[in-house]
Amino acid sequence: MFGYIAPDKPDLKIWEFEVFRGYYCGVCKAIAKQAGHIGRICLSYDAAFLALLLDSLKSDPIKGKLKRCFVHPVQKRFMVEKNSAVEFASDINIILSYYNLKDKWQDEKNLTGPIGLVILRKGFKRIKRKYPALINEIEKELSFLQKLEQKKTGFMDKASEPFARLMQNVFSFTENDEKQKKALGWIGYNLGKWIYLLDAFDDLEDNIKSGAYNPLLIQFQYKHEESIQDFKDRIREKTDFNLVFTLSEMEKAFSLLDIKKNKSILENIVYRGLLLKTRNVLKIEDRSSQNEKPL
Amino acid sequence: MKNPYEVLGLKEGASIEEIKKAYRELVKKYHPDRYRDNPLSDLAEEKLREINEAYDILIKSAGNGRQQYSYQQQRQQQRHNTGARTGYANDNSMFYQIKMMIQNGNYVQAQQLLDSMQVRDSSWYYLQGLLFLRRGWYDRAGVLLRRAVEMEPGNMEYREALNRLNNQYTGYRYNPYFYRQSYHQSPDMCQFCTTLWCADSLCECFGGDLIGCC
Repeated sequence: MFGYIAPDKPDLKIWEFEVFRGYYCGVCKAIAKQAGHIGRICLSYDAAFLALLLDSLKSDPIKGKLKRCFVHPVQKRFMVEKNSAVEFASDINIILSYYNLKDKWQDEKNLTGPIGLVILRKGFKRIKRKYPALINEIEKELSFLQKLEQKKTGFMDKASEPFARLMQNVFSFTENDEKQKKALGWIGYNLGKWIYLLDAFDDLEDNIKSGAYNPLLIQFQYKHEESIQDFKDRIREKTDFNLVFTLSEMEKAFSLLDIKKNKSILENIVYRGLLLKTRNVLKIEDRSSQNEKPL
Repeated sequence: MKNPYEVLGLKEGASIEEIKKAYRELVKKYHPDRYRDNPLSDLAEEKLREINEAYDILIKSAGNGRQQYSYQQQRQQQRHNTGARTGYANDNSMFYQIKMMIQNGNYVQAQQLLDSMQVRDSSWYYLQGLLFLRRGWYDRAGVLLRRAVEMEPGNMEYREALNRLNNQYTGYRYNPYFYRQSYHQSPDMCQFCTTLWCADSLCECFGGDLIGCC
């Protein structure tokens, strides 16, 4: 989980923001229950979106309460009560953070790895027993990903495929209706691809410095005498096309979902939030984004 | 049977004008052209059928069913048109076979047939591009479709596929949700003109023309 999936906050109405934050808090609380209070640090916006999306397919009204929590002790906040969507999103958040830390430890010997792994281990084991088939799929895709990275694949499509398929499995897992499942899967696939490629662009600088693998460096043949800025300028347009096209496919699948509630919040994310994020990471400026900063 | 008002996203008792407006917007949203290269095209088709049924019920109950703009008629005509258009494109059975497989979601078999083809001509690049598009490999799809157009610049079917790709990008990137009046600045006249100018140049690149006078 990377936290790229976020709403365009200034454009949300205040009640919409409260509801979105309600899901975020709900997931946070569910993580604390599964992995202990320190486990909360792995919370990401992506998981909040997953909870929001899956819960919006159910017609029962949102259940929640104004509560205080120890992270924000002063003011009471609206918090969505634990339901199947929130619980699933929190479980996925823990699992993916666990694998991410493990990966970081193996690749970079990053010290946050082992500490995080110890914190999340107990919750992780419990969740693993809960969805053995899904975990199996996730591990399979992650090992594909590792192999592709070792081979240093130079195609962005190929490199992003395992993570895209992983997200496809995750997004479609809880749905029973075949058609909705297919649409959810396509949302997951394209979001996964988008996250992977956006992250690759975001990491260019670090990867060039450390010499780590990055599909964009290989596909667009980075030359050592070239400055990072020049390279980014060179590949910006192509990367933008791929990222935005991926999002447009996601939007098509989203249009086919039978959304029962929270539609305006989801639309904010689908039609604005993700595009804004893409532009901010790629640093694309145009006239309309000059005053993008929240007031 | 779902409530027809609900299907069109309207409140019960909406006026005929409202019904027509909602219907037009939904048809645009779920139009088969928009879902041509998407793996969920069958779901979109089904949704459209539902919308058509709901519209027919509402309009008929209002008592003037016959004169209404019927999407189905338009659609049949369109089918006819595309049939005629693709007719001259490439008249061999393998081409159609693979194309149908891709359209029906039979990707594995289509890939096998493509792999087995010895001659890699423009039609091979076109079909492989379409297949990649459906499977989510957009970068490769763009490369192959562009290649097909370069190899056979006169083929309108290839061009249209490539145009669809570019239009889909533009359609989402400049979607009205993003560019409506908001805390963002809306596009001004200058930007509007440049966009038109660009669109015109693009059209001319492909042999057409958007604005006749320039």
